Amino acid sequence: MSNVAVIGAGGFVGLSLIESLILEGRSDIRAVVRNYRNMAGLCRFGTDLDVRLADAENSALLTEALAGVDTVVNLTTGPPSGIIQSTRSIYEACVSVGVRRFVHLSSAVIYGDVCVPVGDDDPPVARHWMPYARAKSMSELWLRERLNNDAIDIVVLRPGIVWGVRSPHTLQIAKALAGKTAYLVNDGKGIFNGIYITNLVRCIRTCCEYPQRVAGFYNVGDSELVTWFDFFDALGPPLGCDCSRLSRVRYDHFPWSSRALVDGIQSLPLVNELYHQLKAHVPDSLKARIRNYLEGMYCYERHATSYAVRVAVERELWHLQRVRYKLPIEKFQNTFQFINPISFTEGIQRTIAWLTTLGFIYRSVSTTA
Amino acid sequence: MSLQLLIVGCGAVAQRLYRKPLQQLEKRGLLQVAALVDPATENANALRAFFTKAKIYDNLENAFAESKLDITLVLSPAHLHFEHVVQALRNYSHVLCEKPMALSADDCARMNAVATETDHILAIGMIRRFFPAYQQFKQMMCDGKLGSLVSFEYREGHKFEWDVTTSVAFRPRMCGGTGVLFDIGPHVVDYLTWLFGDLKVPAYADDAISGIESNVSLEIESHFCRGSIHLSWDCPQSNELRVLGSKGEAVLRVDRFDQLAVRTTSDYELQKIPISFPTDTLRQAQSYMSPKSYVEAIYCQLVQMMRAIKWGEPPAVDGLEGEKCIFLLESALSVACPLDMPWLERSEEEAFRRMHWKNNS
Repeated sequence: MSNVAVIGAGGFVGLSLIESLILEGRSDIRAVVRNYRNMAGLCRFGTDLDVRLADAENSALLTEALAGVDTVVNLTTGPPSGIIQSTRSIYEACVSVGVRRFVHLSSAVIYGDVCVPVGDDDPPVARHWMPYARAKSMSELWLRERLNNDAIDIVVLRPGIVWGVRSPHTLQIAKALAGKTAYLVNDGKGIFNGIYITNLVRCIRTCCEYPQRVAGFYNVGDSELVTWFDFFDALGPPLGCDCSRLSRVRYDHFPWSSRALVDGIQSLPLVNELYHQLKAHVPDSLKARIRNYLEGMYCYERHATSYAVRVAVERELWHLQRVRYKLPIEKFQNTFQFINPISFTEGIQRTIAWLTTLGFIYRSVSTTA
Repeated sequence: MSLQLLIVGCGAVAQRLYRKPLQQLEKRGLLQVAALVDPATENANALRAFFTKAKIYDNLENAFAESKLDITLVLSPAHLHFEHVVQALRNYSHVLCEKPMALSADDCARMNAVATETDHILAIGMIRRFFPAYQQFKQMMCDGKLGSLVSFEYREGHKFEWDVTTSVAFRPRMCGGTGVLFDIGPHVVDYLTWLFGDLKVPAYADDAISGIESNVSLEIESHFCRGSIHLSWDCPQSNELRVLGSKGEAVLRVDRFDQLAVRTTSDYELQKIPISFPTDTLRQAQSYMSPKSYVEAIYCQLVQMMRAIKWGEPPAVDGLEGEKCIFLLESALSVACPLDMPWLERSEEEAFRRMHWKNNS
């Protein structure tokens, strides 16, 4: 693999990818971050990593940051309104500096609840309720129009829920399990379309290292068929949670609550854009108060002693738990001769090890004075 | 005449944390922001919009050459604290220096020596001493509510969100970086020392390779009990201090001003927190406040500094206590080893241990 630039390197996928490359002895990796604060997680790599500052929505700045790079990996997130612009800017910067391959991370969320089986090249669902999903869909459509550009390979990876070590999503679920406020939609029968972080890192690296010309759209995910109950039940016991006792939530109609209503209003395109603009100007103290309010009663127990009877259902998680089909991953496996290195069971074990170091899985503390 | 104040370092800390309380104190006629020092003029200009009488300088020497300044607020990057504090003290200005006091205990000792020599106050900004719940916890420990102490666990971490205007904190230590250890560490060590007395660090682990750490774990020993500290710049932790005693357990939420829970029987009970701090500089303070935000806590810290100058009251944290913190953090680095990361591939874990900075220094 020749030199690689990772844009959006400050997030947990970026950190894990860079960690994997550096620990293999690579010293030709470039990390591109939007602002100084995103360097905090990368600072441990010191002189082994070339860190550049550039706004992914500004193709002129990116051109400078990407000069001399062979492969670019786009892991940027941020407000939905910026996702399409950053995809364009990164692509244009790649083309202008002669990047050989552009690996773009999309998301399986573009297929919504996957009510029918879908293939890797099927179009996204129309009029998705979530601004993030709409932006990811539009980015894909924009890139698809450029797939035949001979000058650059465009590889779009579509992971489902990226879970495991350092995943904020997994941490949120672990907290809900420990607090016994987690819930199962349709008894947890929905398909957990996840990919363990190391498997995703390996997928990305495989794309970067693949020696022949390649382009296209690929679903990536774990090998096993896993339901939401399986996932919760694998993580639950070490967190003191018996998943058979968790609240059940109806499948047919979304259970609206005041919080869900706020989420719903916030997902309207104009409101969402305004929210992301205002967010930067809201004082920290006010943000903290809002966070406290939304957080509700704090659980001082390491693991809650009683199971929540009424739970606040988040619309995104509700939809994720309604997924009916596993996304096929054979196209990626066949094209790249790829086998996921980590099984679901192994991923769970590593996740539990991580949660233990974070103190969410309780180890009795030393009592020697 | 109100106290004349100089700010050195007009970046994010000055603009986001200190600006409002200083404006309030100016409005009450208790002090006047007279000088702003920052080589980045855009930072100084941003502050001057709020302190219109202040003059802007690009270095401390010019500021002191022009006027007599009673207090210097050192808010510059940590690796410049030594130089700025010493310069201010030598110009007979009292100093309130943001944490960390400096990046080495040697520098701290020299700063304290200059403070003694010039007979001026050197106080360290440890804002959490002004969090009511923190004070209440200290009171509770003094009252023996938990019985004899058994152990403690301190965890603080989240994705770094502070809008820094430079990358200095993230550079290798020899280039002025603080890492998470010298960023959050001074707050934690200061508070735990205050709670438990002198501490020792028998073991310390971090995740730095050729750079500076973003995750650390420390084992801690005090005369009364043992415990651990876990800090992170890239991963959320539980953000709690849990102290176990023979009569019960207490939980302090590290990012909350007024939440402290104690369990002596079966359930945790939130404690009443009747703690407040003076907000005037009268000999017998007439007004008090129980801070509920960083801005309010900093207001109280600034008032405390003014009371120290005016009435000789001790500052919340003086240079000697600041030095003790840095000494302890330095002692941790001397026993550093690679952080345990059992989720890595075996080959990655071996590589990490081989590449860890301590094995290559």
